[in-house]
Amino acid sequence: MSVLEGCRVLLVEDESLVAMLAEDMLLDLGCEVVVAMRLDKALAYARTVMFDLAVLDVNLGATSSYPVADLLSTRGIPFLFATGYGTAGLEADYRGVPVMQKPYQRGQMAELLCHLLTCTTIPDKPAAAGALPCLCLTGLKPVGPAQFRAD
Amino acid sequence: MPTRQSFKSSASASATLPTLRRGSELFETERRLNAVLNNASVAIFLMDDRQHCVYMNRAAELLTGFGLDEVVARDCPLHDIVHHTYPDGRPFPLADCAIDRAFPENNQEKGEEVFVHKDGRFYPVGFTASPIRDDTTKIIGTIIEVRDISEEKAAAERQRLLTNELNHRVKNTLATVQSIAAQTFRGQTDPAVRQVFDARIAALSNAHNVLTDANWESAGLRSVIDRALAPHALAEPDAERFRLTGPDTRLHPKVAVTLSMALHELMTNASKYGALSVPTGRVTLTWTVAHDDSGAEHLGLIWTESGGPSVSEPTRKGFGSRLIERQLPMEFDGSATITYAPTGVVCQIDIPLTALGWHGQDVVAGRSAE
Repeated sequence: MSVLEGCRVLLVEDESLVAMLAEDMLLDLGCEVVVAMRLDKALAYARTVMFDLAVLDVNLGATSSYPVADLLSTRGIPFLFATGYGTAGLEADYRGVPVMQKPYQRGQMAELLCHLLTCTTIPDKPAAAGALPCLCLTGLKPVGPAQFRAD
Repeated sequence: MPTRQSFKSSASASATLPTLRRGSELFETERRLNAVLNNASVAIFLMDDRQHCVYMNRAAELLTGFGLDEVVARDCPLHDIVHHTYPDGRPFPLADCAIDRAFPENNQEKGEEVFVHKDGRFYPVGFTASPIRDDTTKIIGTIIEVRDISEEKAAAERQRLLTNELNHRVKNTLATVQSIAAQTFRGQTDPAVRQVFDARIAALSNAHNVLTDANWESAGLRSVIDRALAPHALAEPDAERFRLTGPDTRLHPKVAVTLSMALHELMTNASKYGALSVPTGRVTLTWTVAHDDSGAEHLGLIWTESGGPSVSEPTRKGFGSRLIERQLPMEFDGSATITYAPTGVVCQIDIPLTALGWHGQDVVAGRSAE
């Protein structure tokens, strides 16, 4: 059984069709998923609901999910960014956050989420604002489904 | 020849300037005006009633490559010095010049032209030409402001190339996805499933067509609806099958794409199981654009099927109802319901319209299909 089984995941993704795909992947991995497609909803969830993990699409139409990332950091909830641009597309303050390259892939999603749950560099207590949830992944190794098996 | 007072030739006019009564009000005014004119980044030309240039500022000298002395010495209309040839090499007669029309036609004239530099190269300019009047309001000359618009032209061209490239890539990527699916699932998937997939990709592609028509800034609601229904409507001999009523408006690109997909799913469902599956069935699509109490604009859209086979609630909800009833309201903070009435499917969608900077200027009267 995967460590992701039963995990509560916040999924922030603003495109209807893409959100359906990512939600299905997370459900297939055994997660309980809460979907937010707009920044205001995502902030409300991140403020009030407890999650084990979060997957944040960086670009939300005209805005971005960085404010959600800040909230999650202060609550000590590990998260990853999903973007078509890769790490280079992130604002400098967030370069340390694990990035999942779009299009969404189940293997990559499973590996990164498992890592976020088990990584020892992630502080147990809520981090100060702007702190990074995971420092060990950054640029250290290529991300591919071969290294971990989530299932 | 006109009897009106011409400007003095520049040589004699400027010769007196340094000797004007120093310290006098006139001298101070002159100094201030010269500072303004010679530090302005826009080229300024003062023309007399013969279209000869009697003054040009520093920016005008830099722009044209000619000094004021040279231009005055040529003793001919400025047009013949900086604007004498079309970019294709044909001579450009003064009489055809839009800039010089500002004088005889007595109106402010704005436009774009292509000038010829002293070194022979052509450069695009934007101009504003205004008449100058004497005390008796007779027109005695023209003041022309000119600026080099090469960079704007180049930027617009780059933008056009990028937009074309984007259009091309989006269509190509969708075609590539379609091909990969075809190769991957060859012989392994029910052809009917493949057909559904291809139709959805085509709907997505069509939605993007509407966006490319307006440089990805927005899409016309009416064209979104027309294109989404086209695959069925075009194959339909009976024009009465669809009744479309509502005003046109501009939609944010995200709304356009998701709405296109929603309409595609409704139409596909109707032609498989609903009103469009039998010759007597009809689809009525009615929409309104209205403001709610808080002033926000809403698109209200009602899809009503009638005359089809008796409808019952499906046992399993598929892609279409998930997209419409769940994703669409989440994406736009709106609402959507599908009712499986025995007389036909009814779908009600409410979408708050995302403000486009210029919304309202572009709302046109909707043409009704009735």
